Amino acid sequence: MLTYIARRLLLAIPVLLGASFLVFTSIRWIPGDPAIAMAGELATPEFIAKVRSDLGLDRPLMVQYGIYLQRALQGDLGQSVRSGLPVMDEIVSRIPRTLQLATISLIVSVSIGIPIGVISATRANTWIDGGSMIFALLGVSMPIFWLGLMLMGFFAVQLPNWLNLSGPVLPPTGSGTWQHFIMPTIALAANSMAIQARMTRATMLDVLRSDYVRTARAKGAKERIVIYKHALPNALVPIVTIVGLQFGTLLGGAVITETVFAWPGVGRLLIDAIGYRDYPIIQGAVLFITTGFVLVNLLVDILYAYLNPRIHYT
Amino acid sequence: MKKSTLLLILLLALGMVLAACGGPAPTAPAEPAPAEPAPAEPAPAEPAAEEPAAEEPAAEEPPTPEPIVEEPVEAKTLTIASGTDVENLNIHIVTSSPSFSVLEHIYETLFEMNPEGVLEPLLAESIEPGDADATFILNLREGIEFSDGTPFNADAVKANLDWVLNPDNGAPFRFLISRIEEVTVVDDYTVQLTLSGDFAPLAAHLSHGALAMVSPSVLEQGAEFMASNAVGTGPYLLESWQRDEAVTLTRNPNYWGAAPMIETVVFKVIKEDGARLIEIEAGTVDVAVRVPPAEAGRLAANPNIDIVTTPGLRTIYIFFNVTQEPFTDVRVRQAVNYAVDKEAIVTALFDNAARVSDAPFAPPIFGYSAQEPYSRDVEKARALLADAGIPEGTTVTLYHPTGRYIQDALVADAVRAQLREVGLNVQLQTLEWPQYVPFVRKEAPDNEVQFAMLGWGTPTMDADYALYALFHSNEIPPGFNGAFYQNPEVDALLDAARTELDAEVRRDLYDQAISIIWEDAPWLFLYSEVQVTAVRSNVDGFVIHPNERLIATGADKN
Repeated sequence: MLTYIARRLLLAIPVLLGASFLVFTSIRWIPGDPAIAMAGELATPEFIAKVRSDLGLDRPLMVQYGIYLQRALQGDLGQSVRSGLPVMDEIVSRIPRTLQLATISLIVSVSIGIPIGVISATRANTWIDGGSMIFALLGVSMPIFWLGLMLMGFFAVQLPNWLNLSGPVLPPTGSGTWQHFIMPTIALAANSMAIQARMTRATMLDVLRSDYVRTARAKGAKERIVIYKHALPNALVPIVTIVGLQFGTLLGGAVITETVFAWPGVGRLLIDAIGYRDYPIIQGAVLFITTGFVLVNLLVDILYAYLNPRIHYT
Repeated sequence: MKKSTLLLILLLALGMVLAACGGPAPTAPAEPAPAEPAPAEPAPAEPAAEEPAAEEPAAEEPPTPEPIVEEPVEAKTLTIASGTDVENLNIHIVTSSPSFSVLEHIYETLFEMNPEGVLEPLLAESIEPGDADATFILNLREGIEFSDGTPFNADAVKANLDWVLNPDNGAPFRFLISRIEEVTVVDDYTVQLTLSGDFAPLAAHLSHGALAMVSPSVLEQGAEFMASNAVGTGPYLLESWQRDEAVTLTRNPNYWGAAPMIETVVFKVIKEDGARLIEIEAGTVDVAVRVPPAEAGRLAANPNIDIVTTPGLRTIYIFFNVTQEPFTDVRVRQAVNYAVDKEAIVTALFDNAARVSDAPFAPPIFGYSAQEPYSRDVEKARALLADAGIPEGTTVTLYHPTGRYIQDALVADAVRAQLREVGLNVQLQTLEWPQYVPFVRKEAPDNEVQFAMLGWGTPTMDADYALYALFHSNEIPPGFNGAFYQNPEVDALLDAARTELDAEVRRDLYDQAISIIWEDAPWLFLYSEVQVTAVRSNVDGFVIHPNERLIATGADKN
């Protein structure tokens, strides 16, 4: 297993190289000149030319990439075009914020979504099943943006008005206390939770109909043991795949939640950087997100082996 | 590998992630403030405060009579919900108004343009013409220190101006003072500026935030250090900057002017309009910028919220390329001005949070002179077009940005619809902003723009900035005179006003230039923006400057 992990990590190197190369070249195809974005609307053509040469944008693409790679290996991802600050600082300061929100939302969604799915599956076609699936459908269909603002309006304005409180029940935006996590977590978890619930229900129904479950029941195992010990671990394999993908997406894609709740994460940094044509930031952020995906995928593969002993890595 | 070991590894990984969740300590340290809000030693000279000097620290609510064990006065915090973070902390480099809003609490300029458009001394006491031609003498206020103890003196002024003037530093607002050829230290508190020619708006230009005075100790450490450190002479000190989240300022205990009443000012970055509104309704922020006009009415009905409208300095216009058919003919340009109903645009698209232009720039700017607006007159427009021999159904292409200015694409569409009524068939073309400006500023043979929408802000609040770059023949593309407008009379007036040191004579020169420009109509004159800000009603003395700066220095909160 350890050699497997080592090999996977080694394999990550070409993946990261490939991703960085793709990003490096493709963002240079987006129309729009970062030299102009950086120099500002009032800049003279001479100053724009100077900025362009300072950024190295006047050199051949391959040369630019070579220089970038060489510096990146020394931990220098360049400077943000917009702020003039090192890209490494800009990203590192936001990584913990993104990780916190992604991890907590994932834990919340998994601990609600999977049980809902299991319960629905074991009570298929009862009112509990119907109710849970309507709940899940709501979660999938509510746009995060809308849900976020509704939550905010309710907890910060409406509820305090009804209860005659002087301040909001939950702080609408910002960070610093555990209360700040509640609304962003709900907004972010709602969607993935719903998907997990539906996925769990479907695979559980499948597994519950399989031969080995019938055998387990036949040998007189208690229903609880059948469900949680025999059926669930097998049903979890595809769910873990989904959850892994969701986590990967959360690492780079909680943009909407981050924007609505003024949460300074990597997603917002990336989106803003695209608007400003801040090449160094875009490259750095994508590199981070790719790394996150590679690691999460590795974790998912390891989990497979844990859940299903028939899966072996050598 | 055993399952338990694997599980352990996973748990460890999770633990590490969660450990990162410790997060920064709560932002508002509840340290009790000194019972007295840093007794304001009577300012040596009346600080050139831009606010109506209504606030006297002594007028604070008297301490409660009951002599309870010294209960510390609660330190007041004012929280401002801003839409954008500061770009960085180097005031010589930043360009956005949110950056200047924050940094001009820490840094001060030599002169201050007050919200009424009157220039007042700040770190400089006066400016006067020197003995030699094209020289100016700056007399500095004495006895001021930067917050790190470095004295503010002529050397500091020279260091700052030289830094901005050095082309290698890439200061975007260098052009404001690019006529300065030499900065000379005459004595500790006197500086001589040698210019390439007389330049009347010099003091107004020196009032721009980008030319604020940074401590030489910071300056000499270079741009990267300046990007994340701020040491100035202003009423507030930088306490922390959490990127994309908040900038926290705390009162400068050694401020040379009147001490502000608010101990802590927080600029909180909330990009989403809806979230800013909820924050101000919930009372978790005291000020919210950029209230969408459609929401202003609802918020104004809330007794705890005041809606403040402030005339802006940015004018939105559509320029005609006077070298391209059919706009070579002044009658066509006037016809378009008559055909477009600016009043309707301002009412329908802005809920009146914009002001119909009656000059090429907005009223708070020096040199403004109101002209007779081109009110909507379809008959007149049709007659002018017929006179000019423009056949019904002539197609013209209007370029416009999308999402750069408030409602820009909708305004372009309204113009299209209204021009159809006078027989002009308008095709709309939009480009992404980073491509848009270079496109409409292309040099002559390649420039195929017929007419295009742009905005122009005048942060110096002086007509030179508002007119020269847009209407002088020296400034045709790649300059900003996208209209390729050339009128020798206007050129002469703008040149004369640029070097005329007598304010009244200058005003008269601009008055003449504006009426010629108005008649020549190189633009479809549209409107100037109005800032709509929500302020909690328990906040007094908070100033929203026409240049979009938010000033908490004179504010108080009950």
